[in-house]
Amino acid sequence: MSIINYVNKEIQFKIVYYGPALCGKTTNLTYIHSQVAEAHKGELVSLATAADRTLFFDFLPLNAVVVKGFKTKFQLYTVPGQVIYNATRQLVLRSVDGVVFVADSQWDKMEENIESFKNLEENLVRQGTSLDQIPYVVQYNKRDLGNPAPVHYLDFVLNNRKVRVPSFVGIATSGQGVFATLNAISRLLLQKFARENETAATKQQQRSATTSATTALSGIAAAAAHR
Amino acid sequence: MHAMPILTIQAAESLLKALEDFLEKSEASFALIIERGGSILSQHGEIPDTIDPTILSALAAGSFAATRELALRVGETEFSALHQQGRQSHILMSAVNDEAVLMTIFGPKTTLGLVRFYSAGAVKQIASVLDQACGEPQIPIDLGAEATDDSHDVFEEPSRHA
Repeated sequence: MSIINYVNKEIQFKIVYYGPALCGKTTNLTYIHSQVAEAHKGELVSLATAADRTLFFDFLPLNAVVVKGFKTKFQLYTVPGQVIYNATRQLVLRSVDGVVFVADSQWDKMEENIESFKNLEENLVRQGTSLDQIPYVVQYNKRDLGNPAPVHYLDFVLNNRKVRVPSFVGIATSGQGVFATLNAISRLLLQKFARENETAATKQQQRSATTSATTALSGIAAAAAHR
Repeated sequence: MHAMPILTIQAAESLLKALEDFLEKSEASFALIIERGGSILSQHGEIPDTIDPTILSALAAGSFAATRELALRVGETEFSALHQQGRQSHILMSAVNDEAVLMTIFGPKTTLGLVRFYSAGAVKQIASVLDQACGEPQIPIDLGAEATDDSHDVFEEPSRHA
């Protein structure tokens, strides 16, 4: 669930880029950082090994004004993809609002993609949530490399839950599909926020109606007692 | 899923007041209240322009969570604070509750002992505000058209539009 601050007029969303090792999660963030205007981005922080592999996470804060009068902050994180870093992935997933699952389109990476997707589902369950509750999108990255699986096959393997989510083909090194993916997850988060906002408005109306009815009844009772 | 606090005007002001009192007494430079997922709930003090509190917050949440995990792995169930000693600036991170951490940055004007002493009181005060804020109903906002407009991109990619 997003964090809303009514004083600073800020809404914060946490988006986590998840996927197998070397699928292009960090490349997505690097490209986004290179394109977004200075005023709308913070520094890209990478906690990486000497060999530039993500050790803990990458972090990129972005700002937008999409909710009237409220600054909307999107905090983008990546997880380390290597299997051994599962404890770290669990830490990064804490309080996640939305997920981008980045898959490597190469045929020989299919097993790793499936394993990583299952791992995501398991780790969300550990957080007390699931992909039924959290908006997510899928990106089939590395379409430019030698032997990519067809998109319908990738959809069959990785996007075959009860509800199919938006999926995008990507070449993150050149930026293809990167912003389409980011905009899709941002929109899903805002739509979920709008639904929650509507529920909050309905509840507030119900509370006001109950309060008015109680006040009216007390008035009638007081008048009757006075007579 | 962890319950997120709803920072109403009253809750946000109470958090700010707790930080103000704490900084005044402890003479620390600045402090942040951080949700354990990495978001800032409140901040106060003299934060240098060169420091982005959003980044501090993400790193602090990661660092605190990783050290807590380490403590658990060696059989320690109690993990309430983490201290980083520098030459000029020092960091103290104190667990507020299961959902938040108080991060304090202090310099040579004060001492670790003093900061720790006053942070204990501040942590209790903050925990009480956050407990209450977690049960608060969300206040509806006038979202405006852009928020739900499917044709509107939240982020633009200048090089593709060029």
